[in-house]
Amino acid sequence: MAILIRAGAACVALLFAGAAQAATPKDALVIAWNLDALITFDPAQIAEVNGNDIVRNVCDPLVGYDPNDTAKIAPRTAESWSVSPDGLTITFTLKPNLQFPSGKKATAQDLAWSMHRVLQLGFGNSANLTQWGFTKDKAAEQIRAADDRTLVVTMDRPYPPNLILSAAFASNVTFILDQEEGTRNAKITEGKSDYGNAFFKTNPVCVGPYHVTRWNSNDVVILERNDVYYGTKAALRRVIIRHVPESGAERLLLEKGDIDVARLLNTDDLRALAGNPDIHIEQSLMHGYTYLDFNTSDPILGNPKVRLAFRYLIDYAGLGRSILEYQGKPRASLVPEGAFGALNEADGLPFKLDIDKAKQLLTEAGYPNGFEKKFILSANNISPNLAQHIASNASKVGVKLDLEQMADANLFTRARSRDFEVMLIGWGAGYPDADSMISRHAVNPDNRAEAKLAQYPSWRSAWQDQWINDMADKARMERDPEKRIAMYHEIQTYMMQNGPMAYIFQTVRPIAVRKEVKNFIIRPFDVVYGSATK
Amino acid sequence: MLPRWLKVTARLLGSMLVTLLGLLALTFFIGRMLPVDPVVSIIGEQADQSTYNMVYHQLGLDKPLPVQFFVYVRAMLTGDFGNALFTGHRVADDLSRVFPATIELATFAIAIGVGAGVPLGMLAAVFRGSAIDHVARIIGLLGYSSPTFWLGLMGLIIFYAMLGLVGGPGQLDVSYIDIVQPHTGFILVDSLLEGETDVFWNALSHIILPASILGYGSMAYISRMTRSFMLEQLSQEYVTAARVKGLSRWKVIWRHAFRNILVQLVTIVALAYAFLLEGAVLTETVFAWPGFGHYLTSGLLAGDMNAVLACVLIIGTIFIALNLLADVLYRLLDPRTR
Repeated sequence: MAILIRAGAACVALLFAGAAQAATPKDALVIAWNLDALITFDPAQIAEVNGNDIVRNVCDPLVGYDPNDTAKIAPRTAESWSVSPDGLTITFTLKPNLQFPSGKKATAQDLAWSMHRVLQLGFGNSANLTQWGFTKDKAAEQIRAADDRTLVVTMDRPYPPNLILSAAFASNVTFILDQEEGTRNAKITEGKSDYGNAFFKTNPVCVGPYHVTRWNSNDVVILERNDVYYGTKAALRRVIIRHVPESGAERLLLEKGDIDVARLLNTDDLRALAGNPDIHIEQSLMHGYTYLDFNTSDPILGNPKVRLAFRYLIDYAGLGRSILEYQGKPRASLVPEGAFGALNEADGLPFKLDIDKAKQLLTEAGYPNGFEKKFILSANNISPNLAQHIASNASKVGVKLDLEQMADANLFTRARSRDFEVMLIGWGAGYPDADSMISRHAVNPDNRAEAKLAQYPSWRSAWQDQWINDMADKARMERDPEKRIAMYHEIQTYMMQNGPMAYIFQTVRPIAVRKEVKNFIIRPFDVVYGSATK
Repeated sequence: MLPRWLKVTARLLGSMLVTLLGLLALTFFIGRMLPVDPVVSIIGEQADQSTYNMVYHQLGLDKPLPVQFFVYVRAMLTGDFGNALFTGHRVADDLSRVFPATIELATFAIAIGVGAGVPLGMLAAVFRGSAIDHVARIIGLLGYSSPTFWLGLMGLIIFYAMLGLVGGPGQLDVSYIDIVQPHTGFILVDSLLEGETDVFWNALSHIILPASILGYGSMAYISRMTRSFMLEQLSQEYVTAARVKGLSRWKVIWRHAFRNILVQLVTIVALAYAFLLEGAVLTETVFAWPGFGHYLTSGLLAGDMNAVLACVLIIGTIFIALNLLADVLYRLLDPRTR
């Protein structure tokens, strides 16, 4: 019996000794996040936030956004570039010392192949090329390597250089993947190659500060430093991203020092951490929105005055102080603050809660006693609270909104098939230029149901305005920056009065970081792991 | 004439196959009727229609439902469960990782549930109406009524954050990740196989709290059921007769009454165990445990039928296997059933 007791005591002691070892390794950055949505690291396919965030620390694009001003362009794997006098051809010269983590040289041929495969595979990211006239049939002549360090791209129209650089060449489609690995590991199905899609899904072999060494879905992602990186080498050898899908658990891990960075904290947990001297909270204003979307094929919601009335039912200032703390910044214009061509803060939010004004607009529209509509929304995050807020104010003017919460996948399916009346949903801009939002949310090339342009939220809302279509195209092709800005301002003002969406807030990304971690840089389009030190 | 055992086995296997096939068909057709589109989770919600059509075709969703089902079952029979759309990995690979994680957790939990629940239920029955009985009832009630999510967080705050007695969320501390190579998929076993005792103790410190929380729920159920089974037996005449014969109280309880409740007990323990395998979603979420319940729920929310069907198949098999096991144990424990 005594032996048993002694053995038991030893077990307990050892158990507690194991548990007591907290604190993260000195040479590793440990991040906790919800990795539920992560399905691939193939840059051609990634369509969600987590994968994009991680892969931008594994692969570098040709050019990037200036760290101090996202509207400006800075070199990345490209050393320099020049635009032909007719504005149709851009010639990029790559930096001389680009290497894959194996030490193999990365060339312009690899880059051209990587861009071709984006077009051939045709996932959502290919829009970063196709919307500028690149097609899979003409890819070989439109994007070609002149030599190991020279990439020549030819466009169908002379777009303003800063716009095309920002929209296409700073995006994931210009990551340099290893052509040899991709070709060797390609899978052929029904005579069609997957261009290494299945292989790159878990092994994105490209040029960047880190490379992926392990990914257990819904568990952990491990990145190791790329020691042959052409730029400043990452300070920490490893980045460990743990799947922790619950805010409270993340907070405890951070407070205990078992993680360095927490990325999924809700407002309550962030508030609680705000007073903790060991932790600081970084916030970055993203180029994403949460907005009310109205299906304008509905006779009531098709009336612009009804939609305008809804804008006066949103208590922007009150939301900013309550529900949106750490979550977002109220804004009504469709172009996010920080993007080229955005209205300033005041002009971008001309509305405030005004029940009387809403009532007056509804009366003018012919609905003095209101109406009843179905209102669909995500069951996640702050959406339910936000929807309650809007429904409560709407009831004051006789508008009854029947709330229906659902999973995100369900909501997106309903949105893409125009199957809604009023909807609360989000959208992220692809690049920091007004064109990004306007070309999808305002422009609608074909409003017919059979056109199925589900990638255009304007089409989902069954909303089309020829003046906007023409104006947006003119602005896109305008080479004088001042004139472009003026046009975008005009479009934004028009959309706030007539558009099919009532934008509520621009997303804020809050990240809680332990004080030992320095230089963890958070920007609207990327989070930089490589600069972090401990 | 076939021998009897062969007939019984054939009948058993036949009913198993029909049950599993029916379960798969039901899940498949209900799943396809859900208003969730798996294509969107692959291509992203900003993708255009031609991309949508391409992936829709690749997934075989343009084929009639019965054909899709047939294709799925045919592939499944060759051991190919397809790819999980929401993780991007092969379903078989995913399951080989998440299932052992849950088995470890559930086995620990059921051991705690049975180890504490059966004695507690017996004591409550023997000392019916006493303080022990009341305490057991309160413990049971708390176990039934406390939300697992809340209990999990409270447990973490007290035992992990405040007292530092156990490991935090996750299966291991970051320093121990990647040290042990998976052989069986069970971290506790693999770490011992590789002689990494540090990893073993660390894994143990991580599993103890979620297993206790889960085990508490089972304990509540098992103790209440044990109590009522025992009360039924203790009121039987054979118990009085045994006492009259001069047997001591505990001898009667252990040798006679307890033996007679074993059959019922085995059934409820088997069911409690099966429930732990697929019903630990909330505990797995709070404790960031990469387990089966979380996997199944994520698959359902993403409309990922490959993952969901494989999980349903496993759950169905487990339930059938546990029922069979309970049947076998009945025969061993109760001579009347032979």
